[in-house]
Amino acid sequence: MKKVLSSGIGAVAGLALVMFFLVLTFMIFGQPVGASLKAMYVGSVADWNAWSKTLVKMTPLILTGLGAGVAWRAGMYNIGGEGQFILGGVGSAWLAKMVVFPNLALGGLTLPALLLASMAGGAVWSGIAAWLYLKRGVDVVIGTILLNFIAKYLIEWTINGPLQEAKHQLPQSDALPQAAMLMRFDRQHDANIGVFIAVIVAVGIAICLFATASGYRLRVVGASPSAARANLIPSQRVQMMAMLLSGALCGLAGGLDYVGVSGQIGIGFSQQWGFLGIPVALLGGLHPLGILASGAFFGMLFAGSEQMARSSAVGTTLIYVVQAAVVLAVVFARGIERKVLPQVEAEP
Amino acid sequence: MLEVKGVSKHFGALCALDHVSATFLPGRIHAVLGENGAGKSTLMSVLAGFLVPEQGDVVFEGTSIPGGRPAECQRLGIEMIHQHFTLVPAFTAEENLALARTSQLVSKVDPRSQSLEALEIAAKLGWDIPRNQRTSELPVGVQQRLEILKALSGSAKVLIFDEPTAVLSPEEAEDLFRVMRTLRDEGRILILIAHKLSEVLSVADEVTVLRRGINVASAPITDVTAQILAEWMVGDLPPMHTEKRANRGAARVRATGMSVLGDRGETAIRDVKFEIRAGEIYGFGGVDGNGQIELAEALVGLRRPIRQDSLAVETDRDIGYIPQDRQHDGLALELSVRENLLLTGVRDHRLRRGPFLRLRKIQEWSRKLIQKFSIKTEGPDQLVKSLSGGNQQKIVVSRVFDQVPEVIIAVNPTRGLDIKATHFVHAQLLSARERGAAIALISTDLDELTQLSDRLAFLSRGELVEGEGSLALLGEGSPS
Repeated sequence: MKKVLSSGIGAVAGLALVMFFLVLTFMIFGQPVGASLKAMYVGSVADWNAWSKTLVKMTPLILTGLGAGVAWRAGMYNIGGEGQFILGGVGSAWLAKMVVFPNLALGGLTLPALLLASMAGGAVWSGIAAWLYLKRGVDVVIGTILLNFIAKYLIEWTINGPLQEAKHQLPQSDALPQAAMLMRFDRQHDANIGVFIAVIVAVGIAICLFATASGYRLRVVGASPSAARANLIPSQRVQMMAMLLSGALCGLAGGLDYVGVSGQIGIGFSQQWGFLGIPVALLGGLHPLGILASGAFFGMLFAGSEQMARSSAVGTTLIYVVQAAVVLAVVFARGIERKVLPQVEAEP
Repeated sequence: MLEVKGVSKHFGALCALDHVSATFLPGRIHAVLGENGAGKSTLMSVLAGFLVPEQGDVVFEGTSIPGGRPAECQRLGIEMIHQHFTLVPAFTAEENLALARTSQLVSKVDPRSQSLEALEIAAKLGWDIPRNQRTSELPVGVQQRLEILKALSGSAKVLIFDEPTAVLSPEEAEDLFRVMRTLRDEGRILILIAHKLSEVLSVADEVTVLRRGINVASAPITDVTAQILAEWMVGDLPPMHTEKRANRGAARVRATGMSVLGDRGETAIRDVKFEIRAGEIYGFGGVDGNGQIELAEALVGLRRPIRQDSLAVETDRDIGYIPQDRQHDGLALELSVRENLLLTGVRDHRLRRGPFLRLRKIQEWSRKLIQKFSIKTEGPDQLVKSLSGGNQQKIVVSRVFDQVPEVIIAVNPTRGLDIKATHFVHAQLLSARERGAAIALISTDLDELTQLSDRLAFLSRGELVEGEGSLALLGEGSPS
């Protein structure tokens, strides 16, 4: 009861803070506060058009949030969601090049295969960072950050090289045929069944963390490596598994973006989804269900800020200012919460 | 003259100092002797003004010292030479010495001239200080000299050395003693915290022995022997318990010339031979840092003996392990009571269904353990870090005994516990022995060892010494 109450207080305080930062940003940029807020509402939840944008944005946020959450729970501070997201896209685009475009019939297995390829891509990327840490002592934060840069250049190379479109004109891959993409709810909108996959994965991760022996061991390793060791839990193996799972989740986010929304990879393939997973995970208290909620919340804010930018004179740059302000507000709120309510680290 | 009058200090339920009184005279080297946890460091922190006692008073040259204000105590001339150095590693020796003379945050600094006085003192003491070398590149012995010079560059009248030989080689220690005698002869009060009997006997003029926060005795060094000091440190020894227990069973743990490496690659356990039978408690005594941790971890399976076949543990069940440091190795403080109990339970097939945990069963089971071992907690969901030390230890102990282990390794299982909790842990160990468990009790508490052990041996620098006569080894170990 106490926990429910305290996390409730935390959430309300966080929301209030987000509103405060929003209003402050509008005032600093000389935007009409009321109209801007209304535009945010209209852009995120007012109608199906708005909802579809929110759903499209929350899908990668939930998955990269889960990716960060799983690794952080095991004490592995994976900052490499961005690179793993990109490798996920590259992984599925590569498999598409191998099987879809040559018209090899995989039938109903095509989509699962593409998504598995994206998870493998992400896991390889996080696995490298985990290996560097466990075997060579390279700090996880440093390793994953550097791998982000390598991923950026890797995708540039692939879209100018092996994965470039058949016409060899633009630095991008060929677009997937509509038939090979995830089912959309209607023709006019990008919203697709990927969001269900994200929700199901979140529930699955929650079960894994809190109702299986492996998930329990992962949390022990994160909470106290020395206690894990004294109780014969193989920390290194657990941390490696956590990183692989983390990378697979971020990669899956990239894969869903590829087969669900963009259908191709290009220069701007990831819009910081991997980085944004970190505040999503923090706001969600590193709990999968919390991450589900905070991913949805961030999705709304981002969809709303796009609408607001469209209706304002300042234009699209304001989106990034507003989004950054929101992320700061959220991290700030978590900090306050931790001080005021130290017992808020809620478990089910 | 520095006088301690009836000083008491508690940390939670633990009484670190209990009405301690002592007198320290100029021109004498005073040793304060005691086992780990006897209250030595607490007393020194009170003397140097870091801690304020709840009761009692510290009087220096006729006036009470300003407790809780170490900087003012320093100005009075009370200086402490810390075990962990307070030097800036990236500075040169000269700059570190100058730092002690730089009183303001913003003031002109000239390391050369400001370190001059300290370097003159060094020359007088016969020390050659490489003034322009980075401190981090200097050997620890030289770093300690810098630390002493920093203290001397004020008008130090009282010098408190906190286990100064811990980091020194025997030759460096000998040189330190020479300097301590010189400083004494200049009329200062020198206080040496120690737990090695041999060095106390060789350098001190007066000795004060603390045991569990009580000042057991003070005497001139000429009046005591190593045997007397050892008895003061550990208490009166009840007659050694030699009766052979009838219901001892087969050997469950057998070490045949086992050697184990420590973290730094040193031989922490050297060629030990022993066997622990079912239904007996085998006590391992000795001062901390003589291979206790390595021995325990080898027995539990966390550390490999150098020769695999030098250790055999025969049991079908998990080995019950009560680690020495409950907050570090025993518990995950950020997790709940239930999750900490589960550290052993997670391998219990009754609480699992394949890879899944039976959550309801686990909740029930943890409630039962809380009740059975009377752990004082709001419930299974409370975070362990908010429990008292005794209740935290009960979690470790209860989850070990719940699994009915046939082999138990307990390291200082009652350290820091009050009498009631200590009694509880002892009762658990004895009842495990009754049902035929083989128990290794590794402890620095001699009362506990003699009370519980069927057989007793001492660890000294990684070697095992059995029987009487081993007591004199107590103070000889390497420091922790």
